[in-house]
Amino acid sequence: MSRREGSLDPQADSSVSLLPHLEAKIRQTHSLAHLLTKYAEQLLQEYVQHQGDPFGLPGFSPPRLPVAGLSAPAPSQAGLPLPERLRLDAAALAALPPMLDAVRRRQAELNPHAPRLLRHLEDAARQARALGAAVETVLAALGAAARGPRPEPPAAATAAGVFPAKVLGLRVCGLYRDWVSRTEGDLSQLVPGGPA
Amino acid sequence: MDIYLCSKRPSWLVDNRRMRTTSDFQWLLSAFVLLYLMNHVNSQRKETPYDLKCTTNNLQTWDCSWKAPSEAGHGTLSEFCIDNRSRSCYQLARTNIEIPALSRGDHEITIRSLQDAGSSTSKFILNEKNISLIPDTPEILNLSADFSTSTLHVKWNDKGSVYPRHSNVIWEIKILRKKSMELVKLVTHNTTLNGKDAVHHWSWVSDLPLECATHYVGIRCYVDNLLFSGHKEWSDWSPVKNVSWTPASQPKVFPQDKVILVGSDITFCCVSQEKVLSAQIGSTYCPLIHLDGENVAIKIRNISVSDSSGTNVVFMIEDNVCGTVVFAGYPPDTPQKLNCETHDLKEIICSWNPGRPTGLVGPRNTSYTLFEGFSGKYVRFKRVEVSTNESYHQLLFQMVPNQEIYNFTLYARNPLGRSQSTILVNITEKVYPHTPTSFKVKDINSTAVILSWHLPGSFAKINLLCQIEIKKINSVQELRNVTIKGVENSSYRIAVGKLNPYTVYTFRIRCSTETFWKWSKWSNKKQHLTTEAIPSKGPDTWREWSSDGKNLIIYWKIWAFFSEAYKGPEDFMNPISLALHDLQTEQAVGMGKGILLTWHHDPNMTCDYVIKWCNSSRSEPCLMDWRKVPSNSTEALIQSDQFRPGVRYNFFLYGCRNQGYQLLRSIIGYIEELAPIVAPNFTVEDTSADSILVKWEDIPVEELRGFLRGYLFYFEKGERDTSKMRDLESGRSDIKVKNITDISQKTLRIADLQGKTSYHLVLRAYTDGGMGPEKSMFVVTKENSVGLIIAILIPVAVAVIVGVVTSILCYRKREWIKETFYPDIPNPENCKALQFQKSVCEGSGALKTLEMNPCTPNNVEVLETRSTFPKIEDTEIISPVAECPEDSSDAEPENHVVVSYCPPIIEEEIPNPAGDEAGGTSQVIYIDVQSMYQPQAKPEEEHEKDPGGGAGYKPQMHLPINATVEDIAAEDDLDKTAGYRPQANVNTWNLVSPDSPRSTDSNSEIVSFGSPCSINSRQFLIPPKDEDSPQSNGGGWSFTNFFQNKPND
Repeated sequence: MSRREGSLDPQADSSVSLLPHLEAKIRQTHSLAHLLTKYAEQLLQEYVQHQGDPFGLPGFSPPRLPVAGLSAPAPSQAGLPLPERLRLDAAALAALPPMLDAVRRRQAELNPHAPRLLRHLEDAARQARALGAAVETVLAALGAAARGPRPEPPAAATAAGVFPAKVLGLRVCGLYRDWVSRTEGDLSQLVPGGPA
Repeated sequence: MDIYLCSKRPSWLVDNRRMRTTSDFQWLLSAFVLLYLMNHVNSQRKETPYDLKCTTNNLQTWDCSWKAPSEAGHGTLSEFCIDNRSRSCYQLARTNIEIPALSRGDHEITIRSLQDAGSSTSKFILNEKNISLIPDTPEILNLSADFSTSTLHVKWNDKGSVYPRHSNVIWEIKILRKKSMELVKLVTHNTTLNGKDAVHHWSWVSDLPLECATHYVGIRCYVDNLLFSGHKEWSDWSPVKNVSWTPASQPKVFPQDKVILVGSDITFCCVSQEKVLSAQIGSTYCPLIHLDGENVAIKIRNISVSDSSGTNVVFMIEDNVCGTVVFAGYPPDTPQKLNCETHDLKEIICSWNPGRPTGLVGPRNTSYTLFEGFSGKYVRFKRVEVSTNESYHQLLFQMVPNQEIYNFTLYARNPLGRSQSTILVNITEKVYPHTPTSFKVKDINSTAVILSWHLPGSFAKINLLCQIEIKKINSVQELRNVTIKGVENSSYRIAVGKLNPYTVYTFRIRCSTETFWKWSKWSNKKQHLTTEAIPSKGPDTWREWSSDGKNLIIYWKIWAFFSEAYKGPEDFMNPISLALHDLQTEQAVGMGKGILLTWHHDPNMTCDYVIKWCNSSRSEPCLMDWRKVPSNSTEALIQSDQFRPGVRYNFFLYGCRNQGYQLLRSIIGYIEELAPIVAPNFTVEDTSADSILVKWEDIPVEELRGFLRGYLFYFEKGERDTSKMRDLESGRSDIKVKNITDISQKTLRIADLQGKTSYHLVLRAYTDGGMGPEKSMFVVTKENSVGLIIAILIPVAVAVIVGVVTSILCYRKREWIKETFYPDIPNPENCKALQFQKSVCEGSGALKTLEMNPCTPNNVEVLETRSTFPKIEDTEIISPVAECPEDSSDAEPENHVVVSYCPPIIEEEIPNPAGDEAGGTSQVIYIDVQSMYQPQAKPEEEHEKDPGGGAGYKPQMHLPINATVEDIAAEDDLDKTAGYRPQANVNTWNLVSPDSPRSTDSNSEIVSFGSPCSINSRQFLIPPKDEDSPQSNGGGWSFTNFFQNKPND
């Protein structure tokens, strides 16, 4: 994997010398992101299973409508410095929990007999919050903490009808997976021995 | 008059009476005249008012109009007169008039046109029947749409005030759809006019969501007044009104999140500015129905129940997807098994079964409301999705003070419908108390305790029924019901008596109400030991002398237990006197766990009876237990947990009298008999050729397990490995069974058996408890020697008799046999034909032929070396044998003038009783006829010695022509036959005269013939040595001839 432009190189930058506890924190956060990436993929699959056809059928791909307050990871952000990307990761992870909660509430009405899905949605909100906090901790340890107060998370996006709500939930679950995966990729560049 | 007619007839509206003729001719004539007159009138119409028409829209006034004459100009005055009781005329400057409705019947109307040139008058007959009732065109006051329900609401005024009379009105409403105004619905709606204006409403639910296309509505009416005899017509259609929906920029699907009944039809549409590519419900694609613009619709028929999250309906647009979700389910079922009860008379719990699942969840799930009719209070069921899998729902209703009767109605409702269920209960009769808690036991005395417990509830006004379970170790539990007054503080106490002192009890309690509904659950168990008490009576004792008579054994029982101890002989009153000498032991079998003993009443027994029992297998003194029975009893059922089936017990009945106990009866018995567990051990005592004596032993009592009822003895033929006596109970016919019911019998003789035969013997014992196992044995009977002897002697005797008879026959027929088999051989020396004497031969040198003079042999010389037989010199030959020179090589053929008759030399030694006499050294063997029969006393031995040869007589020749003979004796057999053989190899014989006896020497080329007298040529006498010459063809002698007496031709 080629080194991305703007990424931190702990060995090259003496100002960012990783202390053992920081290294451990980075590894821990990276492991968490790695684990949540798998969970997010499972959540997406489980979400699709409970929405009925044609969700989950091959060929059915509803448009990726924009979600208020949260954008998808953009390829253009690859050129940003690593701290900046991590800040974006943290911000997205902070915006996801209320959206996941809203999805869970809607699914509680639609699929009250799917406790596993509801529990995973609840877990996802909590895990996104935890991963975002961990990323911010790493950023703070690296001296690249977010400047200024964090903006309030946007109000949870809602949809008027059930079908739009299902599509929105699918979109939120997809964003959760994308941002967790993106965070894992960004953190892997900080992990000693990882792809730089 | 003409005018009248002319003006009257042409008007079909005014007078529609028709002239009827009775004949065709008249009808044709009338038609012709009518046609002429009409033409005439038409020519005159234009000169008078015509075509009067009258209608009404309110039944109160008639609007009449007519057409003015052609000459009349605009503004021409007309006079319209109604000829009734009071003639009414109206001067008009127009050709129509509104007149009050006329009464029924004909009315003459005169219309006079006042022109400058004069006037023209027309008369008309006007009747209500000719009036058309045409209501005014209705007007839709309001048309509204409920898009959420796809419902159109139409509102209009019936203008009933204009109609003086009660009338029925039929409204016809049409629904048009799309810009092309396709008629989709035409319905009628009936109302009644009541003399006042009324606004009517009508609603219609569209199958297509109203957002999908513009909908138009029009209305018209028809007044159906029964008193009006005229013609009634529909009004004109009102101007249509429409409803439409302004689409948004984004495509949208309608209806949104609809809840419908399973099996119904539904139409979805997509309002879009872009082209819709496809549509599907779930995974099923549906054909598109094109509406205005790019809007499309799909129609779903007989929809099936949806999943929890609904059924998705998706429309695919070029770069977008829009959809909706439909929830197909059922209306709520009637709540089933509605039941209301209380635990504590404070709160009522109503539970029910929701019945058939609706298929709807979440906000669409069924909501329940419990309404109490007397108090007017209600509670709503809070939806708990987690518990929706439970089959029962329940609601809590706080009891109303001082109210016992409750009338509950449970309402169920969901988007598809509602249902309800009702129950009327007296709640004091539906108390299901909580489980008693804080259950405690406290002593009162050694036989009574106090139980206390806590039972939450407001039971002050009712009585409680509680059940106490009292369980003692090794005893059956006891249930006691008690009724106690309910209290407010929920604490209860009760005393329980009739307990045993110093006994461990286990208590628990449950409660209900006096008007029983349900028991509460049992409280926790509480174990309690009652306090000790003074014994109420002495121990139950029994004593027996030990077997040596030196010790007295005393037994006593305390409560359910007893112990034993030994004491020395003390001054115990009336020790037991055994009286077994005159008692017979009886048998008894019990039932279940007990055994019933009965006896006759004995007035001498003044105390009581004692029955003791013990296991019979125990050594004396033996005592398991005893029981005392009052003296007036004559029976006792002895029961004990120690009794075991299949165990023999001894029971002793003692009677008590002043002198002591006296043994009255001795009984052995079983509580239950079982089958023996072992088979009787039996042996075979004796075996003969036709019987077996079997003896068996007793089965030990411990293994008998019941009273022996007999033995079953099975036997059958069979070897150890082949016997198939497996299923003895099947009653196979080849298995013989002897049932020995005399149990004292210990032996059995089985007779009528076959000798030297293996028998399979099986013995098993049985009791009333069943059959015991079997024991088997295989025995072989001895051989029957007499029969064997007879079997040997009879063939020997037959053989001897046959031999004797044969010998006698041979002796008597010896001459014949001799002539037949051993004819006299003439002496060649005596044959003149062979005397080539010099005198003869030399004297007549020319004599070259053989004289065939008869010659008589005078002597046959038989040369035999070391022969003990006397030389036979007589011409009468007894035995047809000829001497054969011992060494033929020594003889000079040219000088040997003796024609020898040599029997063939048989080199093999044949055992012959006469062999000794023959000396065994000569190679010439004399065989007589008798020797051809081999001794038959030991046929098998003979057979063994000559396995390949034929024993007994066999023909000595191989006559290939005679197939019969060939079949009888095989060729190999011939070579080995030890009996009589011909003296020549017939194969070397030449065919000669059939009458000529022939003989030949197998070892010599010199062939001898029988009597030379039969020879008529030298060539014949000295046959060429031609081994290939044809063999004898039936011309030889066969031994069969001797028996069959069929001479060969």
